[in-house]
Amino acid sequence: MTTKTGTQRGTAAPHSGQGSRLGPVARGRERWFYLLIVPWLLGFVFFQGGPLLAVVAMSFADWPLPQPPRFVGIENFAALGQDPLFGRSLVNTIYYSAGLVPSGLAVGLALALVLHEPRRGVRLARTIVFLPAVLSGVAMALLWSWVFNPRFGLANRLLAMVGIDGPGWLHSEAWAMPTLILLGLWGVGVNMVVYLAALETVPTELYEAARLDGAGPWRRFRHVSWPLLSPVTFYLGIVNVLGAFQVFTPTYVLTGGGPNHATLTLPLYLYQNAFTYGRFGYAAALAVALLAFVGLLTLAQFRAFERRIFYLGSG
Amino acid sequence: MMRARTPTLGHVSTVLVLLPFALPLAWVVVAAFRPAGDLVQADAGWLPVRLTLDNFTEAWRLLDFRRFLLNSALVTALTVIGTVLSSSVVGFAFATLAARGKGVLFALLLSTVMLPSAVTLLPTFLLFSRLGWVGSYLPLIVPHFFANAFYVFLFRQFFRALPGEVFDSAELDGCNPWMTYRHVALPMARPALATVAVFAAIGSFNEFLEPLVYLSRESSFTMSLGLSFFQGLYGTQVHYLVPMSLVALVPVGIVFFVAQRAIQRGIVTTGGRA
Repeated sequence: MTTKTGTQRGTAAPHSGQGSRLGPVARGRERWFYLLIVPWLLGFVFFQGGPLLAVVAMSFADWPLPQPPRFVGIENFAALGQDPLFGRSLVNTIYYSAGLVPSGLAVGLALALVLHEPRRGVRLARTIVFLPAVLSGVAMALLWSWVFNPRFGLANRLLAMVGIDGPGWLHSEAWAMPTLILLGLWGVGVNMVVYLAALETVPTELYEAARLDGAGPWRRFRHVSWPLLSPVTFYLGIVNVLGAFQVFTPTYVLTGGGPNHATLTLPLYLYQNAFTYGRFGYAAALAVALLAFVGLLTLAQFRAFERRIFYLGSG
Repeated sequence: MMRARTPTLGHVSTVLVLLPFALPLAWVVVAAFRPAGDLVQADAGWLPVRLTLDNFTEAWRLLDFRRFLLNSALVTALTVIGTVLSSSVVGFAFATLAARGKGVLFALLLSTVMLPSAVTLLPTFLLFSRLGWVGSYLPLIVPHFFANAFYVFLFRQFFRALPGEVFDSAELDGCNPWMTYRHVALPMARPALATVAVFAAIGSFNEFLEPLVYLSRESSFTMSLGLSFFQGLYGTQVHYLVPMSLVALVPVGIVFFVAQRAIQRGIVTTGGRA
């Protein structure tokens, strides 16, 4: 994508800073700008910024709907510390993210590398990989879970062919979470598409030069593709972690958090507290905790990786 | 030095990476057409000897899936209209109009992408219940008329990539920014509009948490909620569940094959850069 700055019309305050001396044309534009972004401003106030403040306020209340809220200070957060299910759901969510995000990046990159080369059938192949990522949702989750049906599913029938007695998958406490991670990996086509687009932008001269220097396929990947792909990897890492921490549909539809809370994730526990048990204040505290963890993880990713990103002709 | 990779090796690796995607998909599609008995028989042959549509017709009779599909179509259509209109006009403003505070607002806009929907769910639910909208489609549709940060960004990128003279000459012709948006920018934005429309449609059709929270009458269920409800009722009867899941995939599948390029373009525009 080209980032053009030349289309930026009109000059804001010529003596920037105070900005009180705007010409009538510039002031007119400014008025139009604020008029046209009204939909977003309202949306921000009512559906993002406002709710964000409200959920923090709610987290300090005991609110057994439909009764009115009662201020309880940090009682909800103290209760979080005592709640084994909160700990469990947090660990489960981290387990899910740690299992899905790195493998999703690796598989997405591997697929992109294999399907990058122009070859017969490669477009059909990309389509097949991408299709499940777009379909997603409840229907796809139900179909994939049928593949992992312990008795009749494709997975265990294939394993039986090579003499392996397959696990209980979603029905097994130990295997349920790995199964959900595997289900998540079927959505890896999104990562593949982003990597494919990034690979298109790598100048072919760089590969040629590396080849002339005697670099084999691995070293060409390690020293040319990988550094050039690092901004994309970084971005996908952040977006994928955000997505993984919000996983809800498969846990709600397929396992309901079971067996024995093995797949109880934070968003599911939040939903149950709010809409099954009607504990709105406690659910709000869970939402604040979720936000805090997502924020911390994003910050940590920035801290850890931002310096290692290589920008070609960076600016 | 010959080429490092022979074409056969390339083809073999292509087929190998495809197997985990193509095989299960083919298997569930075939499963849906097998007689109910074959589906839950561990030693049923791999190759379907008999195929039938009975599973589809019976499942279709058990619950009003036609209703669910129509409900989903309604919610999806209105969501798409709201998203496209609101996000394009906001994106246009961010791309073409200079204003004090724009940088801060843009950063604010982008930061909302990081906000998990689970965090805003509870206050938003209370707001809608105060308005008396719970149980209707309004909570699923109305927020989309207030611009989505991702799509605003996508439109902004699109409008910024257009030559600035286009908008300048419209201004010289006496167009105010609204007229420029309406008569110049919007007609030029077809590719971006298509991408956003397709994205919003798929997102709305696949949405599960919001219908689950806001809809309670069975006759108002969307397809994903209806399917989940169906699973609760007939979850053990996979010969109904597998075919109905496939039916639920058909609309998105059609959109996918018609608009694959637009979808990929959208992923790259919003995902290719941070």
